[in-house]
Amino acid sequence: MTPPLDRTAVLGDDSLRGRRFAVAHTEVVDAWLAELYAEVVGDRSGCALVATGGHGRNELTPGSDLDLLLLHDGRLDPDTAQKLWYPIWDTGMKLGHSFRTRPETLQLATNDLATATALLSVRCLAGDAAAVDELGEAARAQWAKGAKRSLVELADAVDARHESAGEVAFALEPDLKEGRGGLRDVQAIGWALAALPGLDIVDPDRLAERYDVLLAARVELHRATGRAVDRLLLQDQDEVARRLGLDDADVLMARVAGAARTIAWESDEAWFEIRRQLGASRFRRGDKRIDLGHGVELVGGRVELADGTRPEADSVLRVATAAARRRARIGRATLEWLRDAPDLPDPWPAEARDLFVELLGCGHDAVSVIESLDHADLWLRLVPEWAPNRSRPQRNAYHRFTVDRHLLEATANAAALVERVGRPDLLLLGTLLHDIGKGYPGDHAIVGRDLAADVCRRIGLSATDTAVVQTLVEHHLLLPDVATRRDLDDPVTVRSVAAHAGNSLTLELLWALTEADSIATGTAAWGSWKEGLVAALVERARHVLDGGDVTEVAATVPHTATQRDLVARCTEDGQVALSVDGDRLTVVAPDRHALFSRVAAVLALNGLDVTEASARSEGTVAIDEFRVQSAFGTDIAWTKVERDLGRALRGRLAIEPRLAERARSYRRTRLTARTLDPSVRVLNEASADSTVVEVVGPDSIGLLYRLTRALADLDLDIRSAKVATMGNDVVDAFYVRTAEGAKVDDPDDLAEIRAALLHALLVQPV
Amino acid sequence: MKLVTAIIKPFKLDDVKVALKGIGVEGMTVSEVQGFGRQGGHVETYRGAEYQIDFVPKVRVEAVVADADAERVAQAIVDAARTDKIGDGKVWITAVESLVRIRTGERGDDAV
Repeated sequence: MTPPLDRTAVLGDDSLRGRRFAVAHTEVVDAWLAELYAEVVGDRSGCALVATGGHGRNELTPGSDLDLLLLHDGRLDPDTAQKLWYPIWDTGMKLGHSFRTRPETLQLATNDLATATALLSVRCLAGDAAAVDELGEAARAQWAKGAKRSLVELADAVDARHESAGEVAFALEPDLKEGRGGLRDVQAIGWALAALPGLDIVDPDRLAERYDVLLAARVELHRATGRAVDRLLLQDQDEVARRLGLDDADVLMARVAGAARTIAWESDEAWFEIRRQLGASRFRRGDKRIDLGHGVELVGGRVELADGTRPEADSVLRVATAAARRRARIGRATLEWLRDAPDLPDPWPAEARDLFVELLGCGHDAVSVIESLDHADLWLRLVPEWAPNRSRPQRNAYHRFTVDRHLLEATANAAALVERVGRPDLLLLGTLLHDIGKGYPGDHAIVGRDLAADVCRRIGLSATDTAVVQTLVEHHLLLPDVATRRDLDDPVTVRSVAAHAGNSLTLELLWALTEADSIATGTAAWGSWKEGLVAALVERARHVLDGGDVTEVAATVPHTATQRDLVARCTEDGQVALSVDGDRLTVVAPDRHALFSRVAAVLALNGLDVTEASARSEGTVAIDEFRVQSAFGTDIAWTKVERDLGRALRGRLAIEPRLAERARSYRRTRLTARTLDPSVRVLNEASADSTVVEVVGPDSIGLLYRLTRALADLDLDIRSAKVATMGNDVVDAFYVRTAEGAKVDDPDDLAEIRAALLHALLVQPV
Repeated sequence: MKLVTAIIKPFKLDDVKVALKGIGVEGMTVSEVQGFGRQGGHVETYRGAEYQIDFVPKVRVEAVVADADAERVAQAIVDAARTDKIGDGKVWITAVESLVRIRTGERGDDAV
């Protein structure tokens, strides 16, 4: 009897990392399989146990499938195969198993891509090694013979895989195996090379080195999670980094991104060339040369420097702009050549600056071109300040991309908005640079402002234009922050935004930058709610900048007919009156004490997120208005909300136990990101007549209830509130006044407010 | 009370039914389902492409029983459904919070 497989030693050996682990691990498994085979099958000519795919390449990670073929001569009893598979199943490892003769296997490979590629790395584990060699040779010959058809199929499979798995280098939670720039891309290039051995397009050593970086991360990911997962989630990055002996997750992710970036570029390059050589019709552009001027030409879908052209200082920008405009790749040799181009003079001539702006204006077509420039170290020569942002992760649930990719995506979005602004060039430059400070210590907007000055001066922008770009960078968060956190009806809000922007040209630019930035950030960052608020704020600030009076646009809005009606009803019978209109809820009640927090609690109990709220009093009654959205995107069941509200306001609802119960049922099981450190800021200058309290911290169920309840307990009136949820964090701003209707300015009182709100933020409703 | 759920090979349903009646289980619910487990839905000796995963037809048997009987019922299913081949299925036990017999309104253990 073969003893059971024991992988404990190899799995627990922390000194084995990456490829060394995979090889050692594969050896342990293979030795056991060979013993098992000897016992079950014995010595039979024409029969062998064959490892295929990743197993054949000696790359078993802790969670890998065993890819096994029991090759036989047609006379082996199928029961024998089962005797082999059962002990393997019992190890708990995943098994891809097959029992076939050589002709059956080759037949299957003719119409199954996965089988065909798996057979390119067959390895004999036990039995008749000569039979395995024959199978391997026949499979490779068959693969090379059918190259044309298979490679077209494989190329499409590569595209489809990238589409569904996303980026490795630029995503914050990359799929190490299937993503663009992942392990599978290197394997696919290997398969292509097996079919077209003459293809001299990649540097195999360089790829192998990058491959091993990803392999090492994958091995530790499997070890850390104990599962066969390939997506490196934020929650696992610290542990994987620790196991690899790296300082922290940022180092790990920068390393992964660096490897994936090269793999992605090489893969794009390889498949572009393969498709060209195969002459797949949709990629046929012929080898006709099209002269694009200045020694730049388009040849076979690639932009090249013409033979004998010496690269000039502005050649990099010329080639890049031509490639982006023509949606072409930059030729490999040309990229190499461009490294010899002399540096641009400082400051740049106007022509170079125009080319740079034109490149940025090419939208998403510019992204892959800039990726190519970066690959050849040419991008950093143009924008050296970019360097610390390269592959820099952003560890929150709000963002999708690394800093550098985010800047390029945002710029591509801005390119679509240039018609809305007076100075497209400044919009593009400002967007490209808006987060440039993120790779440096300090407040990124302030650091970025100073870096932007360096960049603008070098590219030869005038002092006036430089100042505008600096304002864009420094205040790129002004509009979204103010729009979602401040009362737009408060004249102080509008005046301060107008003052920061300074003129309506800059205001427009900031507006377009906000939109481009938010869309690039992620789906959670730009919705109709935020878009509407920003638009309203811009409109009001513009009115002031155009010389209008702020009170014409920012003043207390008179009551609507509905509100007047509710107030009348409430005053008459002393009962709570409420009305619902779309996503708005208006509540009028005689006793305003803790009204806001009770309504907030009922909304939380009904799975509704409050996005905006205001509160006013009118004589003896309080009028609270809430704008909500359903957490699950479903229709809002207002009837139930109204019933719960009625009970809550009469004090007939056990609010805290119910919130606790809801918190238990909806407990987050997966924390994907670091949350913001809880903080409370008190701003007494942000409003004319209220104290603004801004609360930042991790979101939790019933948080708004706890915060507003804490304010009510301190006898503060909430005049209005802005509530924004960003990923797992909230940023809430409350405009509060004392019971006497004044701002809070006693330092002791302010300290109490801080303490109460921090407590409300931190207490977990269990 | 406990809910005993078993996924078994379809041809083993009769054996399981007899075994459960034999130890006094008064009712059960049976449904036809599809799924795959560790063998990826592959037949025992596989000649096709090992990289596709298929669903295989199975039968799900469910019975609500008293706490004291749950382990015995699960064991009876295991004994009756076992063929020692891959794909024999699984049995699991979950807690049941409350139970009502609709016709009489009986609750809890009385309704088992």
